[in-house]
Amino acid sequence: MDMEIEAYLRPPEAEMAPYPAKVITLATGKKLVVRQVDRDAVPTLLEAVMPTLQVERDFYDIVGARLYSELLGWYRYRVRDEFCLIGQIDGFLVGIVNSRMFSPDLGISLHTLAIERGMRIGAHLFAAKMEHHIEYLGQEEVLITAESPIGFRRWMIEYNLEKREGQHELGGATPFALTRDLYFRNKERLVAGERPVPPELMGIAEREIVVANEDDILEKILGARRREVQ
Amino acid sequence: MSTITAYKCVNCGQVMYPHHLRCLNCKGREFEEIEPKGKGVLKTYTIVNELPWGIDERGRILGVVEFENGVRALAMIKADKVKIGMKLVPGWEPVRVIGGVKTQGLVMRPAKHSG
Amino acid sequence: MRPVVISGAGMIPFERRDEDSLIDMLSMAGLKAMDDAGFGERPVDALYVGNMASGLFNHQVSVASAVVDRLNLLPAAADRIENGPASGGSAVKNGFLAVASGYADAVLVIGGEKMREVIGPRATDIVACMTHPQAEYIYGVTLPAMAGMFAQVYMDKYGVTPEHLAMVSIKNQDNGILNPYAHIQMKITMEGILTHPQAHINNPVVADPLHLYDCCPVSDGAAAVLLTTQELAKELGRPIVEIAGVAQATDTHTLQERQDPTDLKAVTIASQKAFSMAGLEPSDIDVVELHDAFTILEIAESEHAGFFAKGEGAKAVEAGETQIGGSLPINTSGGLKARGHPVGATGVAQIVDLTWQLRGEAGERQVEDAANGFSLNFGGFGNNVLAFVLRRLS
Repeated sequence: MDMEIEAYLRPPEAEMAPYPAKVITLATGKKLVVRQVDRDAVPTLLEAVMPTLQVERDFYDIVGARLYSELLGWYRYRVRDEFCLIGQIDGFLVGIVNSRMFSPDLGISLHTLAIERGMRIGAHLFAAKMEHHIEYLGQEEVLITAESPIGFRRWMIEYNLEKREGQHELGGATPFALTRDLYFRNKERLVAGERPVPPELMGIAEREIVVANEDDILEKILGARRREVQ
Repeated sequence: MSTITAYKCVNCGQVMYPHHLRCLNCKGREFEEIEPKGKGVLKTYTIVNELPWGIDERGRILGVVEFENGVRALAMIKADKVKIGMKLVPGWEPVRVIGGVKTQGLVMRPAKHSG
Repeated sequence: MRPVVISGAGMIPFERRDEDSLIDMLSMAGLKAMDDAGFGERPVDALYVGNMASGLFNHQVSVASAVVDRLNLLPAAADRIENGPASGGSAVKNGFLAVASGYADAVLVIGGEKMREVIGPRATDIVACMTHPQAEYIYGVTLPAMAGMFAQVYMDKYGVTPEHLAMVSIKNQDNGILNPYAHIQMKITMEGILTHPQAHINNPVVADPLHLYDCCPVSDGAAAVLLTTQELAKELGRPIVEIAGVAQATDTHTLQERQDPTDLKAVTIASQKAFSMAGLEPSDIDVVELHDAFTILEIAESEHAGFFAKGEGAKAVEAGETQIGGSLPINTSGGLKARGHPVGATGVAQIVDLTWQLRGEAGERQVEDAANGFSLNFGGFGNNVLAFVLRRLS
């Protein structure tokens, strides 16, 4: 790689405080480990995102396509100040969220992808993402939009987001903002997690990001079970 | 209209809201139109976070109140603290936009001096 | 009146079924019940379809006319029956009357709903259309809100705790895992939904004091039964499961006009009448399907139907009596909580599940030697209720 050319092509990198991993006890009693990953995790994550591109239901295809490009772009040093958090249960990847820092004060929420459904994993990971923006990166405000009407309405009402002028970088959609004030007002109700993650659980999570095979991922997303009865 | 119209059976005195063509007690058919009198006592309530299409605010409080003349109604409750048995005074305000129209209904607030 | 037998029973798995239209689902379930009966090409005299809101969910009305054609039951009589969440029960009742009266020999009853065609808040609004337009609907009241107001006073009066409600939810979800037709097949734990300090984040308040896991899901699905005379059942060689008792009762439309808001009068009256017609008592019943749209209702209905004294229902849950192996198994199917609640389907699905239990066909959920069953289908918010007593004869 010609690092001289790369210097022109790579955006500058800001110092970003790391996200301390946490563990959430789900309704099922299972433990969700939420942790930040580095670029080296991207090839594995892309395996999980790829199947979603063929799922029209619930806008998985556009979320998947955009998330894929954002993760790949981050991996190849073509997206500025992006971060990525993942959720794992027993090492299995169950969700991915990503965002970027526009400036020290302003964050841009990118995507939330839940691979397991029914345990509010998307909600927990979205909250973790906001936690990172506000509490660990110390930002003032995060701009949010969404492709899916269901998820968006949920966030808008759950957090009571404020409408903003201008365009969100995701397709120019109307941005809605989570401010520091809104975050802390809703934190107790919406942001779960205990720290530190017990070493045993963390060990399993860090050892390997286990990605289910394509059929299983599709089944989990579509909710269609392999049934003995039809 | 600045409040609900309730009904009192001419035959047996049963107080009803909403309207029935025959008395819930004696099946009589003549009614006197009455309005809720005095304060409303909160009989039960709930705090609603999952709202139907058309209503966007979380935490709406709804409750059943009983007025001093026996009229009972569902109402929106505007109070910081809610307790069964508390005394409330009625207002008449927009409660929901239906078909583009701001529909008014009973909105109850804590009586300044309870008792 | 002559005896009415359930000769065939069938349902399709309840879940989100984007690929199937409402008519598809109703027809599939109908065919399953007919095939279960081995009915072949015999004529069906009448079709009843229980469905609450196809006009609003699916922009289609007169669905019985569509199904009678889709299944080629022509020229059978066909009616859609609507009674809110008790549309299925009312459809079964109408089918029962047609056979019992001598008017028909074979009646197909199908219940179904396709709710996931609209997004959540719209479904909530459509269901809320049951409430009184001026006295309730305008305030944004929802069915969970009605249940919340009921729960507030019921729990206080009878000492029902959040733990009791969680136990009902956990039990029904456990049962759902054993039911291949159930919408929700997910184990939940007391820690995850209640006792963990952060459980409220997994299990947020929907309508205080009811939480997410106290409320049934929004589902698509259909279930069907074929009701026939005893003679026809014998000809088909099917086990004889009889509808021994059926009754319906109503109460005031609005919650505020109930004399005592904790008193589910319609449940009590309908249950008493059904037992009386069947010549049975609650103590004769081996397996029960109740309408747990909200966990509090399973407890309240178990008392009002006569199985436990007021205030004892929660204790029975605590003692494990309502588990599959307990003294009175309730909602072995997973109930509305786990089996799901495609509104018009539920009343029929309850009867289907009881039929399987009484025939010994309930697999891992089987209650040993189940001979008598009871189901309750709760319309509106308890203002229009149907109760059924089923009995195995052969």
